[in-house]
Amino acid sequence: MTNNKTRKELEFALRERSSEHEDLIKSLQNCSRRDFLKVSAKFATMAAALGVIQPHGFQLVNVAHAADSPGAAPEVAFRFAYMSDTHLYARGMDHRFARAAIKAVDDLNALDPQPDFVLFGGDLAQLGRADELDLGYQIIKEIKAPVRMMVGEHDWYLDLGEKWREMFGEDHYSFDHKGVHFVVLNSVVEKDFWTAKGYSPEQRMAIVSGLDDNRQSPFEVGEEQRDWLGQNLAKVDKGTPLVIFSHSPLYKLYKPWNFWTDDAEEVQALLKPFATVSVIHGHTHQLLTNRIGNIHFHGMLSTAWPWPYAPEGLPEYTVQMDRPDPFNQFDGCGDGSVAVRGNGRIDKNYNFWAQSPRTVSAEQLDSGVLKSSGGYKGASY
Amino acid sequence: MRIRQQASKFIFAAGAILLLATPATNVFARGVELAVPADVIPPEIPEDNQLTQEKIDLGRKLYFDTRISTDGTVGCVTCHDPKHALADGRGAKTSAGVGGAMGTRNTPTVLNAAFLSTQFWDGRAATLEEQAAQPLLNPIEHGFTNTAAVEARIKELGEYAELFKAAFGSDAITLERAAKAIASFERTIISLDAPIDRFLAGEAGAISQSAKRGWELFNTKARCNTCHGHIGAFPLFTDEDYHNLGVGTQALDFAKVAREAAETVAQGKSIDELVLGDAEASELGRFIVSGLPKHLGAFKTPQLRNVALTAPYMHDGSEATLRDVIDFYDRGGNDNPYLDGGMRPLGLTEQERSDLVALLETFSSDDLERFSSLEQEKPAH
Amino acid sequence: MKLEISAAVFVGIFTTVAAGFAPAAIAAQEAVAAQESGPQEITGTPRIAASASAEMPDEVRPATVSQSRTVWACDKRKMVIVEGASPDKKMSPERAQIAAAVLMDLMRFCNEEITARIAIDQKITVAANGHVYENYVVGGPLPIVPASFGQPSKREKMIWKAELDKLIAEGDRLFHNDELSSNGVACAMCHPHASNTHPETYPKFQTQLKKVALLRDMVNWCIINPLEGDALPEDDPRMKAIEAYILSQRAGKTLESGKH
Repeated sequence: MTNNKTRKELEFALRERSSEHEDLIKSLQNCSRRDFLKVSAKFATMAAALGVIQPHGFQLVNVAHAADSPGAAPEVAFRFAYMSDTHLYARGMDHRFARAAIKAVDDLNALDPQPDFVLFGGDLAQLGRADELDLGYQIIKEIKAPVRMMVGEHDWYLDLGEKWREMFGEDHYSFDHKGVHFVVLNSVVEKDFWTAKGYSPEQRMAIVSGLDDNRQSPFEVGEEQRDWLGQNLAKVDKGTPLVIFSHSPLYKLYKPWNFWTDDAEEVQALLKPFATVSVIHGHTHQLLTNRIGNIHFHGMLSTAWPWPYAPEGLPEYTVQMDRPDPFNQFDGCGDGSVAVRGNGRIDKNYNFWAQSPRTVSAEQLDSGVLKSSGGYKGASY
Repeated sequence: MRIRQQASKFIFAAGAILLLATPATNVFARGVELAVPADVIPPEIPEDNQLTQEKIDLGRKLYFDTRISTDGTVGCVTCHDPKHALADGRGAKTSAGVGGAMGTRNTPTVLNAAFLSTQFWDGRAATLEEQAAQPLLNPIEHGFTNTAAVEARIKELGEYAELFKAAFGSDAITLERAAKAIASFERTIISLDAPIDRFLAGEAGAISQSAKRGWELFNTKARCNTCHGHIGAFPLFTDEDYHNLGVGTQALDFAKVAREAAETVAQGKSIDELVLGDAEASELGRFIVSGLPKHLGAFKTPQLRNVALTAPYMHDGSEATLRDVIDFYDRGGNDNPYLDGGMRPLGLTEQERSDLVALLETFSSDDLERFSSLEQEKPAH
Repeated sequence: MKLEISAAVFVGIFTTVAAGFAPAAIAAQEAVAAQESGPQEITGTPRIAASASAEMPDEVRPATVSQSRTVWACDKRKMVIVEGASPDKKMSPERAQIAAAVLMDLMRFCNEEITARIAIDQKITVAANGHVYENYVVGGPLPIVPASFGQPSKREKMIWKAELDKLIAEGDRLFHNDELSSNGVACAMCHPHASNTHPETYPKFQTQLKKVALLRDMVNWCIINPLEGDALPEDDPRMKAIEAYILSQRAGKTLESGKH
């Protein structure tokens, strides 16, 4: 902050917010299980009845919440929803990224019935500024369902998480919900690349905010959180389904863009003893599917903009989303939901705003049908 | 058939008839080729409905015959009037059918419809054949309740058996054949010679200075060209895609209307009947056809040829003048949860708005006068 | 590769060139002579054949050789003088083809400065390395032993790379910040490392533009649309820098014009 007055005002605002935040946390207890996205499901059926051909003609990828259609998979036990990567600038509610974030909140609030909770997938802010986080809070506090927060690198590297933790609490935590053990990680820990170079906090933030700025360090969960995770999971029965939230994918896809977690193997080793594990991550701003052993991985869409697919390393389980048309700021963006089945396996829905919705089911990942499809390669990336 | 040759740039001598080498049973089948400018890709003719003079002649008679309606007052010509650029010239926002029943949609022109890959504002018909049949069976257009009733009426008139025989080889009168004949006739209604075409061909004096400024704006600041861009090989000024601009969506509860519409369609009501008879269901736009959330409130980008002659505008006729349309876009359309991500306020000045209107006026064909005698036009044997 | 030179400019450049290297010593004499003898002589061809001399009176030359036209290679080191060609008119396609063939041929000697003359009778004379070769045949032997045999020196390469890197770095900077943007959106947000820009596919029909576009057209489209900024003039140094950055990031890709 550039002057004392602004700083004081902000501190005041943050104190106020902290009490509101407590209310938010309290409201997280409120859950219920009901049907979900009834309207979309009906229309998916209708579209099928009308013989509407879906893009790509892919039979292997369900459309429009078609995961609801009857099948061999166990009944849906509960659902939660997500929005992620809003990348807000403090430029008011009319800025395109704010409008997009509000659109996602409207989507989430229109879900009928409501999800058990909403995960925010990280990168609420663009440059980690208090006023950006504040704007983000003003937008997401309108979400009717309880909200779980996750941190992204854009929230963190101006003040190393000081404001974010003040507003939203711990950057890693766990909770249990209807028999599923959920863990939220901070996977965007970077080794200190700034002190030796004498970078200011603003320079450090600018470097980290550049996806392709290779002056930064690779993301990692880090030893401290891995120890915590080990202890946390030690108390959990190996048959309990796990859902892990991380901002970066918990595997190694493409290092130059930090589509990567440097200690992914160590974290995966901690998850390996569990029968059913799903990892849901942000950061990549795209439909992204992977499976490593027993672990299913799913990306989350950004509300702000889509990243292109990495030039190499794309998992063969990924059937790519369509290439977006940048004229439409919503193309390639969106939000989504997750259906947790009775056996703890999850079907991941991508609610694209300007493309056809897609659902990637546990069944598709388990059966290997996605892998054998060889993936779908879009236009030249 | 006589299609006037406008200029040397027309590659094909209009009205030329190719005698096909056909077996004796098919002597009636004489192929007709459409006259289009050299750099324009000609319309697609369906495999099962090759263009012949006999079908065109039959289609013409059917098109103008208002007796083919339940109260004997409505023909294709009623809403697609050659005196009004083949659109509805009766002054209402939307079109009236039998008994003065008002529909929900503004009538698109038949002029150059042959080039379009879908028909109707929601694209629910893929071909002119499909399009031509639907109004006959709509209770608020021609008013017939079933196919047999249409066929019975045409038979009653006693003038058609010979024409059907000439066109199709036997005198069976069916709705399918009638639709094929009407579609064949409509395919000949082509006009691509407007001042804008001459301007784009290099005749600088073809349009006014104001219109020239409008053309620059059209392709830049006013952002028209992304959806209405001019392509030499397909010069209709439409991307043939569907966009939610917020027309008519104010205060509409999309979820509720969509749910009800889905149920109605599931119970067997035709989309055509539903959307023309139900003002709220009409506002679902392309969604009712595709079932995709991205199509909620999204309507097809109409062609802009002769747009100055086909007021009022938008799918519901809600904008009275071209100036109103420009003002609508200038404010970024009407906000709603599904507004297309490409819409944004334009900040056009008074002069710029006038320039855009002046430009749109140059999209009017010079030769529309020839369509005033469309009904009498006889083949150039 | 064609450079039109007015008479006065011609002399200036020719003198500069002549002063810079040995082969045109004779021509230099002649140029000086031409300067001294007034404008009407300037249109006369600088003689480079061994027999040429500054003293040669106009009347000795064939009437049609009273004018000539000079064409430079793109490296500005090779020059061909086409005798009888008017400085004001296009050359005949045949003579232009010969001139081009001679220049392309001489490009074998990358760093050398070479002057050639195509006479009215199409005979070619070449002056290089301080020697004059008459009746030269395109592709024929020239006993030139270039110091570096056409290879740029290490230092030259360093200089060129430094200049190239400077332009690319400027493009990199513009690509990654919001200088061209009114809303904070930067090119790299959708195109990290210029991915998904596929410059190798231009020219192609660009659906957003409804016409065939070059890379720069799409750069401007993106500046106007997602970035909500003002389009750059096509020759704006910033446009060149952005193009340089994008192309450098996609080095090694196969050209696939028109690919979608």
